[in-house]
Amino acid sequence: MKQTILTFVAKVNPERVSDLNALLDRIAADVEGNALIPFPKLKLLHFGSLVLNDDPSYGTDLVFENNFDGPLGPYLDDLYAHASAGLHSIYSCCLDYPAANAADKAAMLAYLRAHVVHPNAYHIGNVGRSVERTHQEDDLRDGIEDFLDDVVSQGNIGSPSSIRQKVQAFVQSQPPFAWAANAQPRQTAIEHFMPRLNLVIAGLIALVLLPLLIPLAIIWVIMLRWIETHEPPPADLEVDDHVRFLVKREDRTHMVQNQMCHITIVKPGVFRRVTLRGLLWVINLIARTSDKGELSGIPSIHFAHWALIDKGRRLLFFSNFDGSWENYLDDFIDKASNGLTGIWSNTVDYPKTRFLILDGSRDGSRFKEWARDKQVYTNVWYSAYKQLTVQTVDNNSSIREGLITSMDDSATRAWLRRF
Amino acid sequence: MAKLETEDLKDIQGIVMSGYGDLHCASYVLLQVIEPAAARRWLGSIMDQITTSEPPAEKVSALNVALTCRGLEKLGLDDDTLGTFSRPFLEGMTTLHRARILGDADENAPENWVWGGNEDAEGKPDDGSAVDILLMMFTENEDMLKALLAETSFQFKQNGVVELRTLTAGRNDDSHEHFGFADGMGQPAIEGTFQEDKAAARNVLKAGEMLLGYINDYDKPADSPMVSAARDPKPHLAPPRVAPRVATGARTNLHDLGLNGTYLVFRQLAQNVALFRHFVDEATRGLDGQLDLSASDRLAAKCVGRWQNGAPLVLSPDADDPAFKDADDFGYRDSDAHGFKCPIGSHVRRSNPRDTLGPDGPTALKTANRHRILRRGRSYGHRPKDPRIADPIDRGLLFICLNSDIERQFEFCQQTWINNPVFGGLDGEVDPLIGNISKTETSPANSDNGDAERDTIFTIQADPLRTRVHNLERFVTVKGGAYFFLPSVRALRYLASL
Repeated sequence: MKQTILTFVAKVNPERVSDLNALLDRIAADVEGNALIPFPKLKLLHFGSLVLNDDPSYGTDLVFENNFDGPLGPYLDDLYAHASAGLHSIYSCCLDYPAANAADKAAMLAYLRAHVVHPNAYHIGNVGRSVERTHQEDDLRDGIEDFLDDVVSQGNIGSPSSIRQKVQAFVQSQPPFAWAANAQPRQTAIEHFMPRLNLVIAGLIALVLLPLLIPLAIIWVIMLRWIETHEPPPADLEVDDHVRFLVKREDRTHMVQNQMCHITIVKPGVFRRVTLRGLLWVINLIARTSDKGELSGIPSIHFAHWALIDKGRRLLFFSNFDGSWENYLDDFIDKASNGLTGIWSNTVDYPKTRFLILDGSRDGSRFKEWARDKQVYTNVWYSAYKQLTVQTVDNNSSIREGLITSMDDSATRAWLRRF
Repeated sequence: MAKLETEDLKDIQGIVMSGYGDLHCASYVLLQVIEPAAARRWLGSIMDQITTSEPPAEKVSALNVALTCRGLEKLGLDDDTLGTFSRPFLEGMTTLHRARILGDADENAPENWVWGGNEDAEGKPDDGSAVDILLMMFTENEDMLKALLAETSFQFKQNGVVELRTLTAGRNDDSHEHFGFADGMGQPAIEGTFQEDKAAARNVLKAGEMLLGYINDYDKPADSPMVSAARDPKPHLAPPRVAPRVATGARTNLHDLGLNGTYLVFRQLAQNVALFRHFVDEATRGLDGQLDLSASDRLAAKCVGRWQNGAPLVLSPDADDPAFKDADDFGYRDSDAHGFKCPIGSHVRRSNPRDTLGPDGPTALKTANRHRILRRGRSYGHRPKDPRIADPIDRGLLFICLNSDIERQFEFCQQTWINNPVFGGLDGEVDPLIGNISKTETSPANSDNGDAERDTIFTIQADPLRTRVHNLERFVTVKGGAYFFLPSVRALRYLASL
């Protein structure tokens, strides 16, 4: 099952910015229960957010982030079915919005389609798990955990295989878990195979073009080093007040997940724009082959993407992740420094780099200061499963899959360790 | 790495290098500044009594001083300089977001604290109870402590400071805390100091992790507060040894106010010993309903991750082997990846996951070591005669820790390890001892579940099947706390000279 990541990016009518702000505040006051966009009714949506961002050079943008199951068409229909009035109020504050009223479905959806921005590179933590499947598998795991508590409290728990048989019998006896017996795999063979094939093809093409690429690469490195050594040092960033503003939304009690949105300005000049676009393309090619829940060793990202907007002059970054902002940024520094520095070193104010990927985020405090400075306030954020981490979702899937596969003793023990 | 010079050890307050284990009695006096000029004079007058880190450590008493942000302001430190301190220190422990990070919700919420947390409507500390200065006094015996307290409290009245509260702590000969467990093992050591001599390589940290003005684990100078040279004409302070990363305003002509100092976190944690004993007793009753004392002790050890006398479960899973009582040179990855010996969610494994969280052992250890703290806490209140009988005596731990980056070290431990419901692959549980264990669901985030009562659990991994223990209670309650700056001796002299 494929998932789609995209944003709708719309320019806001300068005279309606405060109206829109007020609307978004109303949604944020009760994300689950609000009538404008009743998020829990959007059964295909994993994570969604609305960001109202004002930039002195680019004006005010409304960015609506959507991470959902399936292609755009059914999702748009569902969105319209549940939120047409709310969307109409929201987009009436934007420029060039054509629909006269919420009933004009064709105009509204055409407008949204016209404002779609597809990611240049993205990552999905739990590939192929739909919102529905994610909830089902979590309920299944909860049910089995309670059942296992009973097994333990009765004493004499028995052999691994006998425990598993008890669990299998328990699940079969429960009508709410009837779906578990013939659930679909995470990915079809083709879905698994194609990204790898693409990577191989790209590698082969690069190999063929090697005689051409080497001189280009040398020229590129020389240009890069010249630019890096001639760029002015990044300005001191004063982030304290901005951070105090941002953190109001973070780490709500028992909240396992957090979200962040970055908008950065790409450094001037064609060189940086081309470098960035090329790098995102390569990273996306590699990220498509990641189906183990990790992005560059970071095990905690549900949905993240980069998208170039304004003809490549600005870079959007959205991430829905597990744990605290501090922990997430530490993972950037400790585990994914090369890729992230490679991307963001092409944007302004980034800590000084060498050869595109060296230094940069390795200056921990400076990098975190930069990341806070470029983070924009997320007006509205919705998650369909706030208490689940990428790893929990994955573990739940493995528990369900383990109910039907055949296992030897060591595999059975490994499966029981999932509880 | 170069050793810290004797000159530096003379400048570093003694509590950085030593927990003063031989000085069994301690008092922590929370002071408020009333008349700044007189308070500065008084601070100047006690400078010669401040205990430094210079060996030998043979001491009959010790005195150390730390200040809150408000204390620095009261003493007359200018706004530009104050602005160079770190954000958590400037904000204090009780802002809404910091309370969320620390898990200070429900009964632990700052509005329920006896000190440090009383705020007025604007979130500003109530002037009547805000702490400015922390005076830490340590002596060999109680008589000396009484004499020292009497002498200093006589001084306070004439010197522009008032005593808000004095917290007195002891140190039992066996160094056990009130739940009955040996405490104080498992400390990091500062590279280039004598702490390094006894420590395993895995526990040695760059000086900048524990001291301001030095290079930290990222090979960058630990962010240190700076004074413009013009404000320090004498000068009391030295220019920064390592170029500061970002200077506010002018990049040159700065003196390092933080060098040889650090940040000190102080929290009063009340322990409900009878409640904890009751929990482990009830959870381990046999099928026949009989109390099983050895199973009860074993469950308590599983919660802690060490046996009562200190042996780590990972090295000595079946008994409290005295040979391992101080052991601190171990990991979990190779010998106990699944938590069969030491549960993944046990207190010591959460407090310092060592080599477990990461793609490989060395990377995991390196990452975990960026969040270490130097603990200097002590127990307060009398030990119960019978831990199974509830009594009204207030007892617990005066938790003190030192770190150069409160956000990256102390707060990170609290948020990402101690109170993280999904720590290390677990789901829906927090630290069984000191976590914010709450049976009521206050978060709107969970409203979709409609749970009024949460299932509070602790998972004990085992082969082939884990046991989940239910009905944990809040065994530890936060009663007060504040973030302090522990200045160097030179910085104290500078503050006294303002």
